[in-house]
Amino acid sequence: MAAPGPADPPPASLLAVENLHVRLERGGRTRPILDGVSLALARREVLALVGEAGSGKSVLARAIVNAVPPPLRVAAGRVLFEGKDVLALGERALKSVRGNRIGFIGANPMGSLDPRLAIGEQIVHKLRSVQPGLSRAEARERVLAMMARVALPSPAARFHEAPFQFSGGMMQRVMIVDALVSEPALVIADNITQPLDVTVAAQIIRLIDSLRESLGTAFLFISSSLPVVAQIAERALVLQEGRVVEEGRVAAIAAAPREAYTRMLVARIPPIWKGVAPLPKVEGAPVLEVANAVRTYVVRRRGTFNAKNQVKAVRDVSFAVRAGENFGLVGESGCGKSTLTRLLAWLERPDGGRIAFLGRDLAALGAAEFKAMRRTFQLLLQDPYGSLPANMPVQRMIEEPLRIHGHGSADAARLAQAAMAEVGLEPELATSLPVGLSAGQRQRINIARALVLKPRLLILDETLSALDQVEQAELLELFLRLQAEHGFSYIFISHDLALVRRVCHRIAVMYLGRIVELADNATLFEAPRHPYTRALLSAMPTLEANRFPREEYLLDGEPPSPIDLPRGCAFRSRCPRAAADCAATDPRLAPFADGNAAACLHPHGGDAPARTPEAADGR
Amino acid sequence: MAETGAAAAVRPAPRGATPSRRMLRLAVSRADFRIGLAGFLLLVAIALLLPLVSPINPTKIAYQVKLLPPFPAEGWQWPHVLGTDQLGRDVFMRCLVGLRYSLLIGITTVLLMFVVGSALGLYAGFRGGWADAVIMRLTDAQLSIPMIILAITILGVSRPTVPAIILVLGLSGWPLYARVVRAVALGERTRGYVLGERVLGASDWRIMLLFVAPAILPPIAFVAVLDVARMMIYEAILGFLGLGVQPPTPTFGNVIADARKYLLNAWWIATMPGLFLLVTLTCLNLMGSALERARNAVLQGEA
Repeated sequence: MAAPGPADPPPASLLAVENLHVRLERGGRTRPILDGVSLALARREVLALVGEAGSGKSVLARAIVNAVPPPLRVAAGRVLFEGKDVLALGERALKSVRGNRIGFIGANPMGSLDPRLAIGEQIVHKLRSVQPGLSRAEARERVLAMMARVALPSPAARFHEAPFQFSGGMMQRVMIVDALVSEPALVIADNITQPLDVTVAAQIIRLIDSLRESLGTAFLFISSSLPVVAQIAERALVLQEGRVVEEGRVAAIAAAPREAYTRMLVARIPPIWKGVAPLPKVEGAPVLEVANAVRTYVVRRRGTFNAKNQVKAVRDVSFAVRAGENFGLVGESGCGKSTLTRLLAWLERPDGGRIAFLGRDLAALGAAEFKAMRRTFQLLLQDPYGSLPANMPVQRMIEEPLRIHGHGSADAARLAQAAMAEVGLEPELATSLPVGLSAGQRQRINIARALVLKPRLLILDETLSALDQVEQAELLELFLRLQAEHGFSYIFISHDLALVRRVCHRIAVMYLGRIVELADNATLFEAPRHPYTRALLSAMPTLEANRFPREEYLLDGEPPSPIDLPRGCAFRSRCPRAAADCAATDPRLAPFADGNAAACLHPHGGDAPARTPEAADGR
Repeated sequence: MAETGAAAAVRPAPRGATPSRRMLRLAVSRADFRIGLAGFLLLVAIALLLPLVSPINPTKIAYQVKLLPPFPAEGWQWPHVLGTDQLGRDVFMRCLVGLRYSLLIGITTVLLMFVVGSALGLYAGFRGGWADAVIMRLTDAQLSIPMIILAITILGVSRPTVPAIILVLGLSGWPLYARVVRAVALGERTRGYVLGERVLGASDWRIMLLFVAPAILPPIAFVAVLDVARMMIYEAILGFLGLGVQPPTPTFGNVIADARKYLLNAWWIATMPGLFLLVTLTCLNLMGSALERARNAVLQGEA
């Protein structure tokens, strides 16, 4: 064994955190935030830090660069980075570490740069402040080179653009340039995929993985989701309330978690393919029928006086929801699901097409008839905080819909109390104001408000996404119980594919305002026909092996603007299967022999649509 | 450091009551608000009650006691603690009557501006469209006419009675309320609770009156306290210009205007009403600024 010479490179460990304690000190009381955390990270390694909100992940990230803000304070411990204790460095020495040897990428790419200045100039400025020896021209060269490496299209032009001219995904690439341009040894990536859509997030993960290999940078990858880190990290550290509860290879933690907390984390992650029982087919009468719904917004073109642009938010959407059915609507931001939700809840009217409820066209109803019909379909909103009036007691809030529809106050009070019991709200809450109630309790109030009207259909617009896992599970159970008792139909509008997989009988996938695939649960997740559905599934972070490998199905680029859609099929600009005829024909949603439908000229699975595209109606 | 992402938005600490009640509670807990309130209530009580029980008639001329100096000075006489004017009228009582008119006009005007301005602003902001365009052009038109010009025109042509003065001041003040309320209502229109009510089937009127108004108006009403002070000053200015309530009824404005000639040898005639106005306005401003600070603190705490 050769003895290391005096001039040998530093030890294999790049970063070592030893027994780190961080405390919150306020008003004479102290609370531990990090409680004896130790970790080691080798060069070129990706270490994941997993934990729920409040577990201390972000505080640890800050402690590593000695930037813990008051009232937090590092009470004990060492952070050895490249052999030096970062916590003992002075401000000047820190400057050569922070932003230089250690880069940082955060969850808010849009807010991280000055909105007024060109992104290139800002990154050049930052690079020269951490590496003062660099000339302006050299710094510029390096920024441009790095922009090319993260696959930002036409770097020389985009160098001069301001942050608002970038999409969220592109801006996250800019932040990666910002972090990597100084050629750091370590990059801390704090929740970087959280604000991004699932396919864009998958692209970013793929990019980071390739950069790590070519640049040899180590990554500390922080996330609250185990499936997300499983995509990129070898080794993971599970943090709970400031303590490391488990450490090991991600695959091992996922397969056989040792600690109770980690077991619970893993158990909460629903399976997508392995051991999923198929949902029964629902054969009720249609409750809601949407036929060729169209909604176009007219917006003024930027920089002109009266030139108008048309934003085609919903294009020719048709589907039907049956009694007792759970219908899923999924898609990425900008696909038109919010607009479609507003149309379904009749907060806006479609420009074309028909929305019929219980067989009656909503547009044809008179005011009184419509108000009566209003009772039968209800929308539950996403934000449990903004959706309740702040100065009304809980029971009064639940009486509100009954009073609107003309019930007497004694009658309304009785029904409201019954509804509170049914959704699991304690009677003591009747007189309290919503301030201080948890998100789950607030959503229960919303559910009770809808429930008292005895609706037939509930539209759930990301209703569960603001809740934590435990509350989510409880409310889901409540929804299913109410469905069994009252025969509700649900429309789940969600970006959470795992949730949709668990509860929805049929699912529609939207892309650029159109339903591109409408299929039953098993077909959609196991043998989807539209390439976009496959791309969505391949981008989904999972612990189990993904049936749709990214190398094969993941898309490049981002959706085109809904203002100028490509001619022919709107998806062809990103479609791996696009052929010449895709540019000529815009495929409509066409059913197959099994009753499922896709809007594609060259669907996966080989079989041709059963009927001509023009006859499609999506039922 | 706050946790990153959406999780941070979940579950703020319970804070006990609605924002408006928190504002009020926060304001009341401040010493300056309490001092202002105590002083203001004392002044109002004296102004309302004393002229009722006192035998002194503030308009009665008595040459034998003219130009008596106020209390500690040589030659003062009971019961004229603040002295008498050139016609022997009691300055203290004249100040109290002046304060009555000042308060009556100040408070009524602000109520009028608040009710009219808020109603129009709420309607404009919540309904949008034509209603909004018409109401906002009305505020523009109104704001382009200076208050004094308006006062000279209206009060010069008709008689300057109390209702006329309130009308003039109210006319020049409502557009500010309309604009502020409109701006807030515009923001409330897209809030979740409004959407929630719509989905339940509530009419626009029901949403505006039962939900939007109680949510947005109290904070604006708090700050209106400061406007009472402003309106009292305007009332004094109109009185000074001879456009206020006419003599022999004493008001701050006409008393000060009359007493200017005697400022050198009988300084108290003009100074005493000025002092009354000063103390009242100070009390109002203490309350108003405490409320304003409480509002800012609560709004920032929520942001």
